[in-house]
Amino acid sequence: MKRPVLIPVLIGLFLNSSLQAAPITFNTALAVGQGEYVLRQQFIGLQSGHDPSGLKRDRKETTALTALGYGLNNQWALFATLPYRTIDLDIGEASISRHSSGLGDMSFFVRYTAYQDDAPGKTLRIAPFAGLKTPTGSHRERDRYGLLPPSVQSGSGSWDPFGGVVMTYQTLQFQFDGQASYRFNTAADGFEAGDVARLDASLQYRLFPRKLSRGTPGFLYGVLETNLVHQAKDRYRGHSNPDSGGARLFLTPGLQYVTRRWIIEGAIQLPLVQNLNGKALENDYILRGVFASTSN
Amino acid sequence: MKNPFSALIVLFLLGSPQAHAAGTQYDIQVNGLACPFCAYSIEKKFKKIEGVQKVDVELEAGKVIVDMAEGTKLTEPQLIKLFKDAGFTFKGVTEKPL
Repeated sequence: MKRPVLIPVLIGLFLNSSLQAAPITFNTALAVGQGEYVLRQQFIGLQSGHDPSGLKRDRKETTALTALGYGLNNQWALFATLPYRTIDLDIGEASISRHSSGLGDMSFFVRYTAYQDDAPGKTLRIAPFAGLKTPTGSHRERDRYGLLPPSVQSGSGSWDPFGGVVMTYQTLQFQFDGQASYRFNTAADGFEAGDVARLDASLQYRLFPRKLSRGTPGFLYGVLETNLVHQAKDRYRGHSNPDSGGARLFLTPGLQYVTRRWIIEGAIQLPLVQNLNGKALENDYILRGVFASTSN
Repeated sequence: MKNPFSALIVLFLLGSPQAHAAGTQYDIQVNGLACPFCAYSIEKKFKKIEGVQKVDVELEAGKVIVDMAEGTKLTEPQLIKLFKDAGFTFKGVTEKPL
């Protein structure tokens, strides 16, 4: 496995990193100064078990997502994200269980802070970004039933460009982040996942300390995020899958504790609306936990 | 013999702060400072500068207070660049003897 090799590399970068408060469900708003690293380790548990097809499908996915950013200067920053995914799909009606685990698709993106307006105790930043999801994860895994379906593969096999814009308005009392993004999914071995359009918003409100005193105390934020995700239908050899794609709206309450040296946060993404095509499997919830720190 | 030793230690301790009191304290106004991690990022940049003895970030006041050793100083162009690189905006600085 490649993961043991990655761990010391990430630890080495981690020892020279500094971290900033940011939304829990998206990484494009991570702030990073010139010559600084930002490292963030997320653990994500996705449960999908409401199956309109009657096949009693139950899908569980656990992802360890590492996000790393580097500030080229005060306007340009480079980012990479690397997931390690474990996926289980049970089909109750057929008594079939399918499983895969391994590195997923690595993404790279560059962000340019096009607008910045700083005032005492507050800042507004607007930054477009563009990137590429690369096929580093396996998309040809097999089990005793044959080739695993795309929803159980760790990777997509395709090169998928994406882009968008992110804005951050931060004060000492609260922070608001908003993001609009689009990913053009391309085909690999005849399969093409539907393009993904997203609108995300995050409000972080300082709960503690209620009143600021001297110095730099730790901040406890209450977090409320919304995520509107639309995915087009998947296509296989030119034919669209009527039981794929659709729109999901999530509401995500969470807590985030930010100190000078480390950050810990947790949230649960609850689907408010799932307007999916055909008999696509619905999400039950997504759990997110993040821990990060810096030592110098 | 014990009392003369104690007297020497007391004299040393009393004299110590005076020996460090010849530097300069810089009171720097910064825009855009809004979270604890912002503070740490700035502290790290200052601690790479020779002569920096102490860095305090006052988030609510939007100030960074830096104590410099005797014979060292901070310049305005240096501060403008430091805060720009860190992602913030330098607004002004006042200085006084420690």
